[in-house]
Amino acid sequence: MTRPAAITPPTKADRELLGFANAAEFAARDLYAIAAASAAFTNDEKTVLVGFHNHHRAAAQALAGMAGSVATNEPAAAVLDIFRSRLSGSNKNAIFEALRELENTLASTHLSLVGTLDGTGAAALVASIVNTEARQAATLALLGARSLNDALTNGAAPLSLEAGS
Amino acid sequence: MNRYSRRSVLRLGGASAAGILLAACGKQAGVEENNNIRAVGVVPEAEGLSNVEVTDIVLLRTAASLEYNAIDTYDAALGLGVFTGAFAAAGDIAQRLRDDHRGHAAAINGLISQLGGEPFTCGNPRLNEIYIAPALALITDADNENPALDVVVLAHALENLAAQTYQSVVTLLTDKALRQAAMGIGQDEARHAAVLAQALNPGLAGVLASIDATTNKPNVAAVPGAFGPLTPISVTVGPLNADGTRNTLMLETPSLNSLAYPDVTCA
Repeated sequence: MTRPAAITPPTKADRELLGFANAAEFAARDLYAIAAASAAFTNDEKTVLVGFHNHHRAAAQALAGMAGSVATNEPAAAVLDIFRSRLSGSNKNAIFEALRELENTLASTHLSLVGTLDGTGAAALVASIVNTEARQAATLALLGARSLNDALTNGAAPLSLEAGS
Repeated sequence: MNRYSRRSVLRLGGASAAGILLAACGKQAGVEENNNIRAVGVVPEAEGLSNVEVTDIVLLRTAASLEYNAIDTYDAALGLGVFTGAFAAAGDIAQRLRDDHRGHAAAINGLISQLGGEPFTCGNPRLNEIYIAPALALITDADNENPALDVVVLAHALENLAAQTYQSVVTLLTDKALRQAAMGIGQDEARHAAVLAQALNPGLAGVLASIDATTNKPNVAAVPGAFGPLTPISVTVGPLNADGTRNTLMLETPSLNSLAYPDVTCA
């Protein structure tokens, strides 16, 4: 019986991609901080938003660990610009929808990384983040009174590498 | 007078004994050769493990087998006729998720065919034997008071198992495009799990990880943590036992003894 190959470390090119993902995740953390500060939400809703905020922070930190010195540990300005304007106002379902799109965009972005990264350790980490962000997107669809189909599908395009800077 | 001295008799006797011993250890006329350890009586021929390899095709066939496990479980659940009244919406969700799994199975088998492998078109026999059949037996037990709820509990566990399986094969698949394809389906399974978690523990309280204050066990959560877990999944279903407890099964992702190797068939 042939056993599976051992986990392989990230290559130099992998670390660049992981640095890009690190910046995107820190942007998501900051976007959740903005949403959680909104008066549109109840305390229970804010608890969930803070929980998702913490998940993105943990993802960003784990990605930084893999990326090494390439990680900026700064939020990607382009990602903040795409979503920030949609997090204001009193329509909580509209904010949930913006956050759902953010989660789907990140899930698609990380999925494309899984198909690009050479190191299997980094691919495994990113895959585990895809798992969680897909769950968060589905949950936000339900909280925002979207359809079952919206909860179960992801039509978002991945971010381009330039958006991570 | 004797022609042999005492010394020569002893020397001849020792040589003869050694010869007899060596002859007993060697091949014997009329005795069939086999690989078994020497034993008295008739024993069956030893069968070695087949020389199998964990290839991309084997991993994808295993993923396909899990899809059929899910399809079969949803079919069985829908066939029970338990999705009525308060559980009518769960029946609609079950049909949708079953159809998604059919699509996943077709997609995975398409990849297997492209790689030159044999598609796998039935549930994983090992997982069926150790997880699904025992769980369904408990759920359909005549003394079980809430089979509809237990069916959703089992479906939630299977969705988590599928999501974990796709996540875990990312490190095993050699082809990066296959890793992406697998995790693309894996994220669908994660969404399934989140939706079913909300059916079991609805609303804001069921989103994040929490602990039941009475039992000190984790509550069902749509998003149990910052990273997709790869831990065993506990499923508590069926009627109350005499001591007031219910049976719990621990589900784990397929390992080397439950992969769909080429010699594992649906026949």
